Amino acid sequence: MQADKITVTGFRHFFKTEGGDVQATGSIDIAIRPGEFVTLVGPSGCGKTTLLKAIAGFITPTEGTILCDGKPVRGPGRDRGVVFQELAILPWRTVRRNIGHGLEIARVPKAERDRAVARLIDLMGLAGFEDRYPHELSGGMRQRVAVARTWAADPEIILMDEPFAAVDAMTRLTLQEELGRLCATTRKTVFFITHSVEEAVFLADRVLVMTKRPGTIKAVLDVPRHDAGGRDWDSFTSDPEMRAIAEQVMHLVHAERVA
Amino acid sequence: MTPSLEKLIWRVLPAVPAVVVVVAWAIYWQIERPPPSIIPSVADVVVTLFEQTLSGELLTDIAASVGRLLLGAAFGIATGVAAGFVAGLHRPVSEFLNPLVIFFNAISGIVWLPLVIGWLGVGSALATFLIWNTVFFIVFQNTVLGVQLVPEVLEQGVRTLGAGRWETIRSVTLPGALPYILTGIRSGLGFGWRALIAAELVGANTGLGHLIFSGAEYHRADIIIGGCLTIGVIATAMDRWLLLPIERRTVRRWGMITDAQGR
Repeated sequence: MQADKITVTGFRHFFKTEGGDVQATGSIDIAIRPGEFVTLVGPSGCGKTTLLKAIAGFITPTEGTILCDGKPVRGPGRDRGVVFQELAILPWRTVRRNIGHGLEIARVPKAERDRAVARLIDLMGLAGFEDRYPHELSGGMRQRVAVARTWAADPEIILMDEPFAAVDAMTRLTLQEELGRLCATTRKTVFFITHSVEEAVFLADRVLVMTKRPGTIKAVLDVPRHDAGGRDWDSFTSDPEMRAIAEQVMHLVHAERVA
Repeated sequence: MTPSLEKLIWRVLPAVPAVVVVVAWAIYWQIERPPPSIIPSVADVVVTLFEQTLSGELLTDIAASVGRLLLGAAFGIATGVAAGFVAGLHRPVSEFLNPLVIFFNAISGIVWLPLVIGWLGVGSALATFLIWNTVFFIVFQNTVLGVQLVPEVLEQGVRTLGAGRWETIRSVTLPGALPYILTGIRSGLGFGWRALIAAELVGANTGLGHLIFSGAEYHRADIIIGGCLTIGVIATAMDRWLLLPIERRTVRRWGMITDAQGR
């Protein structure tokens, strides 16, 4: 039995406001294994982004401990890449220089950096856009660059906070399939937050369902994989086993609806 | 409209107001014939400028003024950007500096003149100080705002790529604040000219301000207007050929500022 990659124990967080402390989450315990793709689905405001930011190291939890590779999290680091919901790539860097930024910071020699960047540009379907600036790209393209930038830095853990929420529905389907394939070829440990049930089940090895605020983990469901590659929407929608899991998650989430 | 015609229009458009003003001035002068010591004719001003150019006087004064402006502005920009960064990044520093900045910004440069003449004497040090005193505040306040307006998510993203404090400032905060810094420099230079001429009116023996002051002593409106024209032309040229290209190659190229469509 391999050691867990991410362990969250007794996590609780309160935000300080003028009117006193506001409880963001209930008590949360999570363990994520190496190479696992775990999605977290829950209603708006349940505290899922708070949890992700704590694992990323942007906020210090009020209570509880977070371990990555057995070591407590103290601030952000290159072992944990983050893909944000908002546009986080740099407007003043071209596609190529955004994707290569992590390797540039790590002082990877240019030839090696160029190879890694070229591979990701290829994998993410960004060929021909290498020298464009982000404002010249569509929303979907920009999120592809954000994903590629995180992968290029080669962290072992990747945290994703509703990365496709701002992308149109058609593009989102493509991006989800691409992400599935990318994970199948690179075996990263991924923690992915969403409020879309379909997305949560489609991408996951395991789905965590959260209650409404202050959120706790309400249920954990395994989503079996029958082959090593990523899933595709055609077979996913026609697979009765997947439909059953999605339906189950849907029921769990609907019970938590915020009026 | 063909693209080449459109391009031509964009090139010509900025010159139109200048032509309109000069033509209006010439027509008014022909009709009214005011005393030349109050409003000179276009021809008088052109002849005076030509004579000053031939004698080398104009070029000497331009060189003196531009030199002082660039020196004072360079100090003002360097200190303004540096202090603006420190204040924009550290809340306690900005709390400490803000009242001071507002206090001293309210005191016009001219007020310092009698005091500073005593401290620094008459000459370039005086002009440099007065220009610094103007440029610094404008650049400082714009830089603070620019630094504070850089989206937090951009910094967070780069930190998860392994960037430390300096790398984050270099690759995120500096380019992120650039639109505001450039705006500060552009308006700072404009106000810098005003401070420069004020300083030279009393506190210098060379420069365009001194030239204008000597014109006033002899009631030579043609010298005054000629001096003003020279200042305006140099300031416009510096903006168009020095600052605008920087803006075009950076913040406009990056899509950080675009023209509002407003339709």
